[in-house]
Amino acid sequence: MTGMKVSHLIYRNLTRNGFRSGVVFGCALLLAALPFGVTFITEGGRASLQAVLGRLGADLLVVPEGAEVKVETALLMGKPAPVWMPAENLNKLANMPGVVQASPQLHLATLAGASCCSASEMFMVAFDPATDFTLRPWLVKHWGGELGVGEVVGGSQVFLPNEKANILVYGSPVRLKGNLAASGTGLDQTLFMTFATAHELARMSKTRAERELVVPTNQISAILVKLQPGVAPKSMVARIQREVPGVSALQSPEMFRGTRRELSGLLRIIFAVLALVWVLSMAVTGLVFSLAAHERRRELGVLRAMGARRSLVFRLLVAEAGVLAATGAASGIGLCLVIVFWFREAIVYLLETPFLSPPPAVLAGLVGGGLLVALCSVVLAALVPAWRISRMEPAQAMRE
Amino acid sequence: MFELKQVTKVYPLDGVASVTAVREVSLSVERGEFMVITGRSGSGKTTVLNLMAGLTRPTAGRVEVDGADLWSMTDREQSAMRNWRIGFVFQFPSLLPSLTALENVLLPLMFKGGVERGEGAEQAMKLLEMVGLADKVAALPRQLSAGQQQRVVIARSLINEPEVLVADEPTSNLDEETEREIMATFEKAHSQRGVTVVMVTHTQYVGTRGTRRVEMAEGRVVKETRG
Repeated sequence: MTGMKVSHLIYRNLTRNGFRSGVVFGCALLLAALPFGVTFITEGGRASLQAVLGRLGADLLVVPEGAEVKVETALLMGKPAPVWMPAENLNKLANMPGVVQASPQLHLATLAGASCCSASEMFMVAFDPATDFTLRPWLVKHWGGELGVGEVVGGSQVFLPNEKANILVYGSPVRLKGNLAASGTGLDQTLFMTFATAHELARMSKTRAERELVVPTNQISAILVKLQPGVAPKSMVARIQREVPGVSALQSPEMFRGTRRELSGLLRIIFAVLALVWVLSMAVTGLVFSLAAHERRRELGVLRAMGARRSLVFRLLVAEAGVLAATGAASGIGLCLVIVFWFREAIVYLLETPFLSPPPAVLAGLVGGGLLVALCSVVLAALVPAWRISRMEPAQAMRE
Repeated sequence: MFELKQVTKVYPLDGVASVTAVREVSLSVERGEFMVITGRSGSGKTTVLNLMAGLTRPTAGRVEVDGADLWSMTDREQSAMRNWRIGFVFQFPSLLPSLTALENVLLPLMFKGGVERGEGAEQAMKLLEMVGLADKVAALPRQLSAGQQQRVVIARSLINEPEVLVADEPTSNLDEETEREIMATFEKAHSQRGVTVVMVTHTQYVGTRGTRRVEMAEGRVVKETRG
């Protein structure tokens, strides 16, 4: 044992009263975990939407009129919703001035709970390699080749079934050539294939599957449109609506507006709850510190009598609060991270919001912000009692 | 060394009423003496002690330490003065419950600074030995009897080798035998270490001890005897 340090005194004071420390620790945990958790999930939602928009790589997405929400839900949540429109719309769009490229897609789904499909109700997107400008360049870049008939590319969460070399789709085995990077959306559980594969699967399903895969003749699900530089997407949307009946054109930056609105709404509600929790936690922490300071008046008076300066007593109390706040906040944030990563699927399902871990810089900012909120709040709550007790005369503090 | 000059202390009870604990008291403590202050409850003896040690500010009058006005000093100077020059023994249990006996004895060194590593522990061990508690260094206050706790407090009050020991009814909660042991410890510190002792008491036995006895009543010094 050598000369004692103030840190030792702080440690002993905090461990002496487990209940008091526990209450403040818990408040700090809440103060950090709640704002961090909420912003983490909403930022994850935003990051995910950005990833989908980036993945689409198109200026416009044209879908059958009235199917906008279904297509968005399919892209975001992986809930397949086959929708159809005449294939002739593709030519109309491709021939419009200002359009550089237009590429069709078929939106299909595997059967639910059928032995002829490895995965139940899996979203499948078929693209036309002749016109595609979103997936094909990526395939060429990564594999230097095309997808052949019977070959597919999966989202980040598409795996081969146990001990199987292929994925069974409508009774036909397809070869998984690779996986795309995670987007945190339904695209992660989607199979991508060429038109030829889709038609082949449809043909073979008549004899191999429990139910036939129907790809209506001369029908397509969506058209991705790339515009000439300088063409305003907004005016092109208006023109398409005017000249191509029965379709709806979605501007990329405007897509998922509903989801974004829901995210913002969710954020507002949760922030209101957070404000209430913050006020309550502050009140509880302030009360705990006031009671603790009162209970320790005599002890602190003795310290002053023995030569502790006012500033030391003040710093001692604030440091105790700071230690509890920092450890509580760090635990809260750690807990949040563990919960979000463990129950990611459940959160996505419950909130119906896609989730992709935000970029490291954003995550670091969120962690820092959560720590700061808890630290400032708890220390703020401790300031007044600490100040008052440190200003007392030693004799007054020691008096019952 | 410590001097009260026409000191009055009034405690406000609420917004209107107040109580005068000490009335125009003048009293000086000389180096090397063992002063015992006696008086009935509410006579102002504890307040005089607190005024002398700078634990409370006088309402009127002046408190001097070696001729300097105590209340003209900054908080840093006052704290240093209390830490270096005065050792405190209180009536109530004043050990920090979360610290061991040894750590409690070391506590005043924390506010002093400039103590070599290991030096403090050695001093503290010697003091605990002096008060007969060498085998209780690792004990927490709750594991010690009231008398043992008070002896640890005395050891703590001596760790900085103070010039003055200020003791406020240090034996009031103890049985007669322990009271005598504690008084013997004070007398040992006074005679062997040359520490000046100012002690407040209302017990008969302690009231007969010391080299100078001051009796207080109704906030005033009513009698002084020496020898």
